[in-house]
Amino acid sequence: MVRNYLKIAIRNLLRHRFISFINLFGLTAGLTCCLLITTYILNELSYDKYNANADNIYRVTRTFNNQNGVVSLKLSTVSPPFGYYFPTDFPEIKKMTRLLDNGPIPARYKEKIINEDGMFFADENLFDVFSINVLKGNPKTALTDPFSIMLTEETAKKYFGDEDPINKVIRFNSQFDCKVTGIYKAFPSNAHMHPGMLMSFNTLKDSTVYGEEQLRTNWGNNSFFTYILLPPHFNPENLEKRFPAFLDKRMAGQYDSGKPSKFTKIELQKLTDIHLRSHTDYEAEANGDIKRVYIFSAIALFILLIACINYMNLSTARSALRAREIGIRKVIGARKKELVLQFLSESILVCFAATLAALFFTWLALPWLNKISGQELLIQTLLSPQIIIPLAITPFVIGTMSGLYPALFMSAFQPIKTLKGLFKVGGGSISFRKVLVVTQFSISIILIITTFIVFQQLHFMQSKSLGLDKDQVISTAYSGEVPKNYDAFRTELLQNSSFKDMSRSSRIPSGRLLDNQGASTMDGDSLVPVKTDIKYVSTDQDFASTYGIPLKAGRYFSRDFGSDTASFVLNETAVKMLNWKSPQDAIGKVFKYGNQNGRIIGVLQDFHFESMHQAIVPMVMVMTPPSQPYYNSISIKIKGGNTAQAIAVFERTWKKFFPETPADYQFVDDNYKKLYESEQRQASIFSAFACIAIIIACLGLFGLSAFAISQRVKEIGVRKVLGADVSGIVGLLSKDFLKLVAIAAVIAFPVAWYAMHSWLKDFAYRVNIQWWVFIVAGLLAAFIAFTTVSFQAIKAAMANPVKSLRTE
Amino acid sequence: MIKITDLEKIYRTEEVETVALNKLSIEVKEGEFVAIMGPSGCGKSTLLNILGLLDDPDAGSFIFNGIEVAKFNERKRADLRKRNIGFVFQSFNLIDELTVFENVELPLIYTGVKSADRKKRVEEVLDKVQIMHRRNHYPQQLSGGQQQRVAVARAVVNNPKLILADEPTGNLDSSNGNEVMQMLTDLNEQGTTVIMVTHSEHDSRYSHRIIRMLDGQAIMENIMV
Repeated sequence: MVRNYLKIAIRNLLRHRFISFINLFGLTAGLTCCLLITTYILNELSYDKYNANADNIYRVTRTFNNQNGVVSLKLSTVSPPFGYYFPTDFPEIKKMTRLLDNGPIPARYKEKIINEDGMFFADENLFDVFSINVLKGNPKTALTDPFSIMLTEETAKKYFGDEDPINKVIRFNSQFDCKVTGIYKAFPSNAHMHPGMLMSFNTLKDSTVYGEEQLRTNWGNNSFFTYILLPPHFNPENLEKRFPAFLDKRMAGQYDSGKPSKFTKIELQKLTDIHLRSHTDYEAEANGDIKRVYIFSAIALFILLIACINYMNLSTARSALRAREIGIRKVIGARKKELVLQFLSESILVCFAATLAALFFTWLALPWLNKISGQELLIQTLLSPQIIIPLAITPFVIGTMSGLYPALFMSAFQPIKTLKGLFKVGGGSISFRKVLVVTQFSISIILIITTFIVFQQLHFMQSKSLGLDKDQVISTAYSGEVPKNYDAFRTELLQNSSFKDMSRSSRIPSGRLLDNQGASTMDGDSLVPVKTDIKYVSTDQDFASTYGIPLKAGRYFSRDFGSDTASFVLNETAVKMLNWKSPQDAIGKVFKYGNQNGRIIGVLQDFHFESMHQAIVPMVMVMTPPSQPYYNSISIKIKGGNTAQAIAVFERTWKKFFPETPADYQFVDDNYKKLYESEQRQASIFSAFACIAIIIACLGLFGLSAFAISQRVKEIGVRKVLGADVSGIVGLLSKDFLKLVAIAAVIAFPVAWYAMHSWLKDFAYRVNIQWWVFIVAGLLAAFIAFTTVSFQAIKAAMANPVKSLRTE
Repeated sequence: MIKITDLEKIYRTEEVETVALNKLSIEVKEGEFVAIMGPSGCGKSTLLNILGLLDDPDAGSFIFNGIEVAKFNERKRADLRKRNIGFVFQSFNLIDELTVFENVELPLIYTGVKSADRKKRVEEVLDKVQIMHRRNHYPQQLSGGQQQRVAVARAVVNNPKLILADEPTGNLDSSNGNEVMQMLTDLNEQGTTVIMVTHSEHDSRYSHRIIRMLDGQAIMENIMV
């Protein structure tokens, strides 16, 4: 019996090749999208789970409150004394291990100098906590001695080529010689950080590097990623509730105005939550977002739903053609159950073929998805038992889901009517099919609107005036040997006409503003702390001119004034928050920031230092005295014209002054672009899947219109005999479908508005949702629907009426 | 074999009520060959559908082989039908996607006959209707006469007690028509009861008895001698 079903199913598929192709194509495209998104989602959910102890590892995070008790900063890193005291104060902690990102540092092996960007200091017990494979060296001791380093295979290759790296020496910053003691397998791509080089934490104990005392007492340097390993099934809240007492005991005296636990908070973050649920102000690498996982899951389900609806529509549309066969089978003795089984086996067969094809296309399309998503997704993700088993039953589930309605619908045909050619599909089923089309088009319109607004927001963020000139500015690190010769380097470079200006600063625009100290202003005769957080950037005299930031009042730091280290420059927002009447009003006011007393000498027009996700915050520019400079970066403004030539001059001059430091540079405008990379990728993926969803929906409409028009052949014939022209008939036939699109639009508009309203909330600066976007999306959907339907309608309207009337 | 008494069938739409069968009473004995004739709309096809258990009457009694079947549900009707009744239609009604062999085999599949037996029986009937050489062809590849021969083969493959033929020669030329009528006659002579609806006086002469209908009632019976 089943053989007979399959035989007739295959012959039917081959006989109606076009419809079969559309059907298979729709399902395959839908399933492929689903599988691609599933691969992406599974990868997102797999972060850090490679660790054997994943469920018991927690990262220590620190939150800072301002004077008002409002959270002003949350970091995924803490200061070193936490790691120092934790094991003794909390004996439940099985292991504590720390990582410290060193930032870029020049590293030399023989003649090779590389600006090493992935160097982390790591506690010697790192491998007891994280499941990282050590390929060479002893994992227990490789990070014990000061100045010993471990490398990934890739890093080792970079320095030593094919030589054996063990016991080789790399010199850092022209200062420290470090011995390679081990090679480890790079952290997997689904790890939340990827150190390329690990230096023993004990190196930090050396007073020329950091100092043991600092590790015990410096509560202010919150740069240490600190992880703890808890016993299995231990509730981390049991520790967390004891943290305030710990803070008050160990940090006593750190805050002038009260208990430390009032101003800072320590929390535990599960390792496996870091990638999707951690949104602190400082992360090891850019994380994912659980919201994005939800959005993409919804898209996958939407696409699958559209594909299934599509299948139902096309199958029931085709049922008119098979009515006679069903009639014959019934007359010969087929029961309803047997017919339902027959049609189900057909749809399961189609789904089975579609699933196989989808796996193949997923494999083909993964490199494309990797390119636009910036991920390293592997088809193997889909071959794990928890996926392969559901995947194997997918054809049965989707086949039944999308085949059951057509099967029940068709098996209920009255045999006499079908055999006498009196068969007409009843009104009820048409309504159901209309509901399906409305659903498909609602989803399509939602996707069109959301894609449109996502791109609008992206364009807005990238084109909105920043209030500073980011173009043609390159930045490079200010470290190592650079400070010594900076002035001479600057003088020589600026003599070249390719360069306009050059400055130093602690942070550069496009970065985050995380540095914060207490500020005070005069109230009557005394200085009173202000309740507003004011972030600071340490700059030299040339910062505002290098970035072309206009002054609202006063002046910027200048070499013409000797006492500028006791001067402050604010941004407009800071002036407003301090309740001063105008930028002009601020000039000359007494101001204390940290321990430095001075006066406001200038106010800069507001500018976007950070991305558009963040609102412009109050800022103060300070100039540290030359004896204690606090700069991390150099910014160089190139004059318009020949950038390549300017870069060549820069590299040449750099090499002359700083032979031990590679001339690594970045364009600041590229950095700004990177701020929106994640949204850009999301938008690309979103629009690609939206297009596919719309194409599949159109196929469904194509099927439905073919069906509906075939039911009206006689009417069309009569109308033509009575004098109707082609355009009149096309209009008549299309009208019904356009009505469905209109209903779909009414359903889609509020849903899309709500979805986008929620999405835009994440941006401090965002586009307004404009009404015309909805109208355009509706018209676009109507146009797509009209084109699809009119293809069939024109064919029907052009047909010879004599023919259609005779067949009736 | 068949006894219907006061059978009624009324088709209703919202505004119109059409009486297709009006208290019709007919009896057909086993082994008979009965032709039913009458103008279009007189109720002959409705009668054939009810006799074939494809449709149910609104009122009256229908006794088939001694069993009252007028109130049978769809499942019971389907069961009775597939074991006892073969159909031959004017438009052949073969399944285009199946070969000649597979079309004839289908009723055996639905009655659960084993594969080896099926093959034997299908070959037998194909041989009988002289279409064996076309067993692997699809219906579209056959002439009308050949298609109807396949349809007859399909109707008899289950050895039904009753064959219902709805204008079996309506789509055929006279020579093919005669061939089909001869086949039905042969089957009848071998003991199968045949009830045939026809417009053709020529075909009706093959039967033992002609029942003439008008407006849902039998108005005359001619015994053919």
